[in-house]
Order: sequence, then C-alpha cells, then structure tokens
Amino acid sequence: MNEIADLTIPAPKRSALNIIARHLAIFLALISAWEISCRLEWLDPLFFPYPSSILEGFWRLYITQGNIWSHLGLTMFAVIVGFTAGSVLGVGLAICVGMSDRLRRYLKPYVIVLEATPRIAIGPVIIAAFGFGWTSKTAIVMLVCFFAPFVNTLNGMISVDRDKVEMFRSMGASRIQTFSKLLLPSALPEISAGLRLAMASALGGALVAEFIASNAGLGVLITQYTGTLNMASAFVCVLTLSALGYFIFRGMEAVDRFIIFWADRDRIEAVGRKRLAAWHSRLGDRP
Amino acid sequence: MIPTMTVTKGSATDGQTAVISAQNVVKTFANGSVIAVDDANFQIKPGEFISLVGPSGCGKSTLLRMVAGLLERSSGQLAVHDRPVKGPDPSVSMMFQKPTLLDWRTAIENVLLPSEIAGRVTDSDRRKAMDLLELVGLKDFAFSFPAQLSGGMQQRVALARLLQTGADILLLDEPFGALDEFTRERLNVELMRIVSEVNATTLFVTHNIGEAIYLADRVFVMTPRPGRVAGIVEVPFERPRPPSIQQSPEFNALVSQVRHTFGENV
Repeated sequence: MNEIADLTIPAPKRSALNIIARHLAIFLALISAWEISCRLEWLDPLFFPYPSSILEGFWRLYITQGNIWSHLGLTMFAVIVGFTAGSVLGVGLAICVGMSDRLRRYLKPYVIVLEATPRIAIGPVIIAAFGFGWTSKTAIVMLVCFFAPFVNTLNGMISVDRDKVEMFRSMGASRIQTFSKLLLPSALPEISAGLRLAMASALGGALVAEFIASNAGLGVLITQYTGTLNMASAFVCVLTLSALGYFIFRGMEAVDRFIIFWADRDRIEAVGRKRLAAWHSRLGDRP
Repeated sequence: MIPTMTVTKGSATDGQTAVISAQNVVKTFANGSVIAVDDANFQIKPGEFISLVGPSGCGKSTLLRMVAGLLERSSGQLAVHDRPVKGPDPSVSMMFQKPTLLDWRTAIENVLLPSEIAGRVTDSDRRKAMDLLELVGLKDFAFSFPAQLSGGMQQRVALARLLQTGADILLLDEPFGALDEFTRERLNVELMRIVSEVNATTLFVTHNIGEAIYLADRVFVMTPRPGRVAGIVEVPFERPRPPSIQQSPEFNALVSQVRHTFGENV
C-alpha cells in the first residue's frame, strides 16, 4: 500500500500564500466545528469552552487582568534555570566520565538504575527536602533535564570511531587535544539531541512540580481555574504552554542546525565558501 | 624530484642502517593463548617500499600497529631509527582503511590537523598543506567537506594528511581496500609516484597479491595461525613502474612465487 502511495507523482509546488490560505481555511473550519458543537450542546461547554470564550480569555488574562504574566514568568524561570543547571551538569559529568575509563566502569550501574527510575517519583522527595516554591520546582526540572544530556553525551563520546582515536594517538595528540578536536565535536549531534529531549521534558517537569506543590506558575493557574470550572481560562494556560513548547523546540532545532552545520548539505557549501574567503585574505594567494 | 628510486636489494643485513628493525617480535593476545605475530625478524632500509600481504588473521595489521607504537609487543626488539618503539613516534605516520577524516573540517583543515596537534599552525604549514592537496590532485576541493567528496577523494585527503606530518615512515593499513577496483588501481599508481617524490619508507598492508607486488621493493608474505612472515619476495623492477608491468611474464612469475610461499605454509 505504502509503495503505491510513494510512487504517486508529487503534487505541484504551490505558492506560500496559497499554502497559508489552505492552512487558515482548515484551522477556521476546525474552530467553527468546535464552536458549533458547543452551541448545539454536542460538547458540554462546562468542560469544553467556546472557542470564542477562550479568545476572550486570552484578552482578559494577557491584557485586561494581565495576571498570567507573573505565572508564565515563574514557570519559565524554573524551566530555564533548571534546564541550564541540569544539562550543564549532565554534559559536564558525562565528559568527566567519558574521559576516564575507571569512572565509566564504576558509575555505569548507578546510571542505568537511575535512568530506569521514573524521574517524577523522586519529585515528592525533592519537595520534602526543598519545600514549596521555586527551589524544589527548579530542582525537579534540573533532575528531569540531567539524564538525556548525560546519557547522550557519554554515548556520543564512547561511540567515536576507534580508528579516529588511534589516528589521534599516532599523531601524538594530548588528552585535551583528543577531547576538543575529536571526541567533543563527534559527540555534538548526540549532545544536541539530548538537550532537545531535556528541553521537551523540562516544561513537563515544571508543570508537574507546580501541580503537586507550588503556589505560583502556570501549573498552579491551571489547577486553580479547573478547580473553579473556569475552563476558558484554563485553556488559555494550556494553549500558552503549547505555544511555548513549540517555540522552544523550533529554537533548539535552529541552534542544532547552526552548530552541527556539517549535517546540512546547503550549509556546508556556504561554510566552505566562507573559509575559502578567509584563506584568501590570510595568505593572499589563490588556492 | 627524486628521479629514480634505485632500490638496493640483497639480504636485509648488508651493513646499511635499517630504518625499521624487528628481532624476534612476538605479539600474543588473551594471556598468550592467541599468537597474533610469531617471531618476526626483518630490517627495512631507508626509502624501501614493503608490502605485507596475507589473508585476514595473519597478523599483518598487528605488526603494523606495533611499528606505529599503537600496540605493545609481547616480546622481542623493535626499533625505528635505532630507537626502541615505546609509543607513537613523530617520524612514523599511519593511514587506515577508512579515511578517518573529521566531518566538520574542510579537506585542507583535515590536512592541517597534524600541524595543529604538533603546535601552532604557521602560514608555511598552510602552504605545505595546499601543496600536498595539489600533489594528491585535490587542490580544487581544498574547501570541500568530507560529505562532499567521494570515497576515493576522501582517501586522497587522508594521504595528504599523512604526508603533512612530515614523517619519513609511512604505514598504510589497506588504505584503498574499501574502494572500487578502478579507483584503487588509479590510487596505487599515484601512491607509487607520491612516495617516490617524498622519499619515504613505506609499509603497506594488503590482502591483494598483485597490488602488493606492483607497489613494493620487497613483499613480506604472511601466513596465519600463528601469524608469521613466511617468506620475503624481492621485486626487481625499478620504481615508479607503469601499470602495464602487471601483465609481464616476470610479474606473473612473482605472483606464482608469492602463491607458492602461501602454498608451502597453509
């Protein structure tokens, strides 16, 4: 079946405007269907608010009341601080472990056990230790953000082509040179994938922390609004999180493409031309 | 530059200083239960091209890695420039079957890697790297990344990098083994020209008998279980040689001689 589908002639390219128009039309159709379903009471408006009232909720939460901003800020703070601390720790520790055979051998069982443990299970323990508020929230995000970068960095470093390691050795490279010129760049694609995974779970981690124990943040706001059956406002928070997640993910993708340029054919041509120009201006002769 | 490589033949111990010398070199694995190289003895003279030929498991790569200082020998004496091999030596440079290029570096930056590792890169290092890329026929691809190069071109870059080290002993571990027959033949011709030009002593590992004879002054025939040098076949042709030499009766006689050495020992 799939083979047949793959053999079909690709659709002719459409203009960007045309594509936007199509997406907009589908989006409006979906929203109208929702609105109509609510009006006809096919969906219970108590739990599924009218799209129009969600829109109105956006206006209220962001502009007239403006109360979402501080919560959004607190959640973002926990996400950014927790992600930075967790991933720096994860990547850093993985580098130490990756550079030392002995550390790797002795630490491996612990890492495997910790990796298999659901991170959220440690949540209440952390809250007991740090109390309510931003410290425990940040600590949970940090914990959630530690493992993917750690495991990926370690994997990236130990899966480097053995011949390349031997080549560095035969050139008499120091440990630092081997690390900075071979191991780290080789591991970068995996490290970046780990960071993206961590970022994806960071938002979730912050929310769970806010659900179980916090007094401010988007998760708290969602709990409060659903508790008072103010569903339109709760949906505003949820949609805000969707948007946040989307932009964070796209941002990380862009950074990934920028750093790991050699995976992208178009980019390597541009980079090659740039380096050629730099060579000219340095040596002043045509290569 | 060096017009002819008048190859000195005769026995390996004719008084001339050896660049590489091995005496009773043994390498065992798994606590001595596997003998990878058994009692290797040879002397290699400056500028000589030696092929190590044999089936997989005959210890040819192990022997090469010991000369490179990447692998410790279990017993015996092994010296490079009269210095006992204790680890990687700046006068020795090795090339692998895979190009082992760094994907995030352009061809020229890959060639410059040995200079970078040795210290600060000077403009003369840069000029030398460009000259070497020209020598391997890749000057126009100096700013291409490995992903933009074919397998053969990548190995040429690796060859240029090998020469950038300034080492006078080149160790090549089946360098063109992963390439197609046509590319491989062409690169062998170029390799012969290049090592003559830079006047390097070369150890070339291969499992292809024709290739081994075509390139070498002497062919070390190696047999497995335990891996040992079963015989040394002298190749009397002057280098560089035209590819057509491979069709000559003398060449075929050498092929049968190598095969014969295998036959006696397998």
